[in-house]
Amino acid sequence: MTQPPAIEAAKVSKVFGARKALDKVSFSLPQGAFLSVFGPNGAGKTTLLRILATLSKPTSGDVRVGGVALKEQPDAARQEVGLISHAPMLYPDLTAEENLMLYAQLYGVENPRQRVLELLDAVGLKHRRLDVVRTFSRGMTQRVSIARALINNPSVVLLDEPYAGLDPHAVEIFDELLATVREGRTFVMVSHDLDKGFAMASHLLVLARGKVVSFGEKEDTDRAQFEALYRETVGMGVA
Amino acid sequence: MAKDYAKATAVAGRPAAPSALRQFSVLLRKDLTQEFRTKEMLVSMVVYAVLVIIVLGVALSFAKPSQEYLEVCGGLLWVLIVFTSLLGLNKSFSREKENGCLEGLLLAPVDRGAIFLAKAVSNLIFILLVEVLAVPLFWFFFASFATPAETAWLSVVPLLVGSVGIAGVGTLLSTITVNTRGKDVMLALLFVPVVFPLLYACVSATTATLLGGEVFAATWTVSLVLAAGYDVIMILAAWVLYDFVVTA
Repeated sequence: MTQPPAIEAAKVSKVFGARKALDKVSFSLPQGAFLSVFGPNGAGKTTLLRILATLSKPTSGDVRVGGVALKEQPDAARQEVGLISHAPMLYPDLTAEENLMLYAQLYGVENPRQRVLELLDAVGLKHRRLDVVRTFSRGMTQRVSIARALINNPSVVLLDEPYAGLDPHAVEIFDELLATVREGRTFVMVSHDLDKGFAMASHLLVLARGKVVSFGEKEDTDRAQFEALYRETVGMGVA
Repeated sequence: MAKDYAKATAVAGRPAAPSALRQFSVLLRKDLTQEFRTKEMLVSMVVYAVLVIIVLGVALSFAKPSQEYLEVCGGLLWVLIVFTSLLGLNKSFSREKENGCLEGLLLAPVDRGAIFLAKAVSNLIFILLVEVLAVPLFWFFFASFATPAETAWLSVVPLLVGSVGIAGVGTLLSTITVNTRGKDVMLALLFVPVVFPLLYACVSATTATLLGGEVFAATWTVSLVLAAGYDVIMILAAWVLYDFVVTA
């Protein structure tokens, strides 16, 4: 039996008032792929990510994550998805352990305490587990945030400009952690960093004014041509 | 470290999402833990309540103690409760907004109704805790000048019913306004007109308990039924609408 695509978007549109943030966006991403999404500010990148994360509902069109339709089974889809963004989604006045326990319990993770300690150990913060998140540096907070996003063992990990605000050392650590969890998972990353996005990707998607300008596998893409296309779309502005 | 990380983060079978009741208790515990650790919201609400009592005391310092004085006491008490609650409601969702925490909750397979109810119940607990401190102080400053009726102790009932409605409606409205510009003013602008029927009924019931006699017999039951009916309808509507409000 063939595996369903990790993500399947069919004519997805999102309208805010008179503005079309997404206009019939369609693509299909195989399992294990790494999709980098590029586009100018206001192109609809974050809107697309929010829809994939079930944080927003499309005005029309269908989205499936791991074969699960977001519209019909949002909770089943949520079990498949993790999101890492520049906002850590951690309560500053709770400890790292309390934050992760909260999410582990909400996802119904088996042996939540054991899982939380494993993840904190894995991100190198087990010794700070009883400290409130407010006392952490930006890099440490982002590491706890990675643990949070992986608490439910998601098969699809969404990255919304995850490098924003990180210093070079924290970026290095983040890249190392990301490399170790690539296997068996599908990634979708929204980024303004063309070099990093291109280097990490197996698939590339360019959005402008809510529409798909280009979608395809990286191995079929010429870097110079892609860069030219990217510069052109950045100049296209918002929807 | 990398090897441990890969093991800890390996893709496994999907666990079943916990029941809405379990999610509710986890979320409620989270809110209570945060507040009892920082006391940020409780301290500001209590300080604000004391300041309102002082200002009201100054405003009424030339009024002569009489039975008529009791007629305004019920209303003044609700001025205190509404303004103090507004302060707390604004703060309660600012916490969810900070660091994108609300989005973190919405990413999980959590019943949206459980998020609403947990937040509403935690807000209710904080409002009631502040009332436990502020209301006796209020009576000491105001109601002690005149002799309230024997039914005065029954004012606990409208206080409880009103607080339930304020916490429920306030939770929904603070979710709506948390992303708006000038959210503090916006919450007040929406909140006061929406809770007007509840406020009116609770002021009426509270005043009736202070005055007693014919006034009590005529208005107590009707006012309380109105307030309780408001609570049921508005909290049910908020619970049903919550998914729409947080994902629109």
